[in-house]
Amino acid sequence: MIMTHSRTVEILLVDDNIGDVVLTKEALKGADFTNRVSIARDGFEALDFLRRTGKFPHAPRPDLILLDINMPRKNGCEVLEEIRRDEALKLIPVVILTSSEAEDDIRRAYELRANCYVTKPADLDEMVKIVQAIDFFWTTIAKLPRHR
Amino acid sequence: MAETPGNSGGHEKVLQTFFEMSLDMLCIADFDGYFKRINAAWTTTLGHTTEELSAVPYVNFTHPEDRERTLREATRLQDGTDTISFENRYLCKDGSFKWLRWRAHADFGAGLIYAVARDITERKESEKMLRITAAELARSNDELSQFAYIASHDLQEPLRMVASFLQLVEKRYDSVLDAEGRNFIRFAVDGAKRMQSLIQDLLALSRVQTRAKPAERTDSAKVFREVMDDLQLAIAETGATITCDSLPEVMADSTQLAQLFQNLLGNALKFRGKDPVRIQVRAQRRPEGWEFSVSDNGIGIEPQFFERIFGIFQRLHARTELPGTGIGLAVCKKIVERHGGRIWLESQPGCGSTFFFTIPDKKPLPAG
Repeated sequence: MIMTHSRTVEILLVDDNIGDVVLTKEALKGADFTNRVSIARDGFEALDFLRRTGKFPHAPRPDLILLDINMPRKNGCEVLEEIRRDEALKLIPVVILTSSEAEDDIRRAYELRANCYVTKPADLDEMVKIVQAIDFFWTTIAKLPRHR
Repeated sequence: MAETPGNSGGHEKVLQTFFEMSLDMLCIADFDGYFKRINAAWTTTLGHTTEELSAVPYVNFTHPEDRERTLREATRLQDGTDTISFENRYLCKDGSFKWLRWRAHADFGAGLIYAVARDITERKESEKMLRITAAELARSNDELSQFAYIASHDLQEPLRMVASFLQLVEKRYDSVLDAEGRNFIRFAVDGAKRMQSLIQDLLALSRVQTRAKPAERTDSAKVFREVMDDLQLAIAETGATITCDSLPEVMADSTQLAQLFQNLLGNALKFRGKDPVRIQVRAQRRPEGWEFSVSDNGIGIEPQFFERIFGIFQRLHARTELPGTGIGLAVCKKIVERHGGRIWLESQPGCGSTFFFTIPDKKPLPAG
């Protein structure tokens, strides 16, 4: 049986494209349960958020990370690599959400233990469906280890 | 009386004649580094007279960068090691240099070096051209992969923005838009989506090169069966009957062979006529390899379009009639040509089409 959440689901969205941020937030708005979406605009900001450093001393620990690949300064693969090396962060589910269909990017993401790789569709309804499916699966269906 | 090689005087004359006739440059030099005797080929090749060549040590004619190597080789020769294939550059009368390849042997009793040199300038130059061409090819392949990445990501993103936000406007402001406004948005969204298919198809075309694998022994019957499985749904929907002869083993990139069958069968299913679809796949032995054919009873093609349909994004039907960007046969052509084969068709409007392609027996495929 699927449990409804008694608390807010924390999602960290890492994307440099403001348009995608708006679209993803739009899609998450329609979800059945309460999401709180935080935004990081590149890899450095994402790691600051996760480690509660820099601009984010009071950041919540996300239940799910949606990570773009192509970003300035530090790209998604580099962020993923650091997350997986960090004892405190390595168990957080990371979904790569990108427009890249490059075989190399897909392979590299899974090698770095991305939980899954999803290509952003051009169609708005598709995008909404996909983002909601990701959200639902990782926050409701998937059984994850308890954070200590 | 004519002298024959039998007696010693005649022998000398025969050798002398051949010495002067030789296309290669023959010479005898002393251990001090001077030519003692040279044949006519020297003058013909380099332009210097015999006197000019004999007046100074031969090393003076070598390219400054080759001089040290040449002297080292002469020392090795005088130490008793024959020169088998030594290469250096020699100065010509006009100031240019020619590449010579040497074979030499030292006669210690006489204190002489016997040597033959061959002008290999042309070979050297074509080797150089080949190296330059190979480097250029590698560079253009790199550019192609880079293009593929740009197409797979950088070009998609702005298009996605255009299409998605127009749809968002349509959704959120539906009440303030009139029918015409909604139509305008639909045109714009369709345009963006079509452009996205075009980019994806260009990418597919470039992958024929960038994802190419070397040719291997491939059971074309097995590849064909796999393609049939993939097309199951389309075959069931159209109620098509597809038959095939026994298909041979060929030297091919199996993924690309599958793509070839898939595109040709896909077209046969798509461009169907009013009758139930019948498709026949055959393979015939030809002297240079196998000739495959895919025949259908579809709408056929006018002969004037036989060339055009293999071009990139060439279509013969309005998009509203039959969907598609017109990349399928361009991909087929690229795959067949990469395998060293040929693709063509026979067809008449209303009487179906037969597409033929050949896969030659042995053709080492250039890797990606």
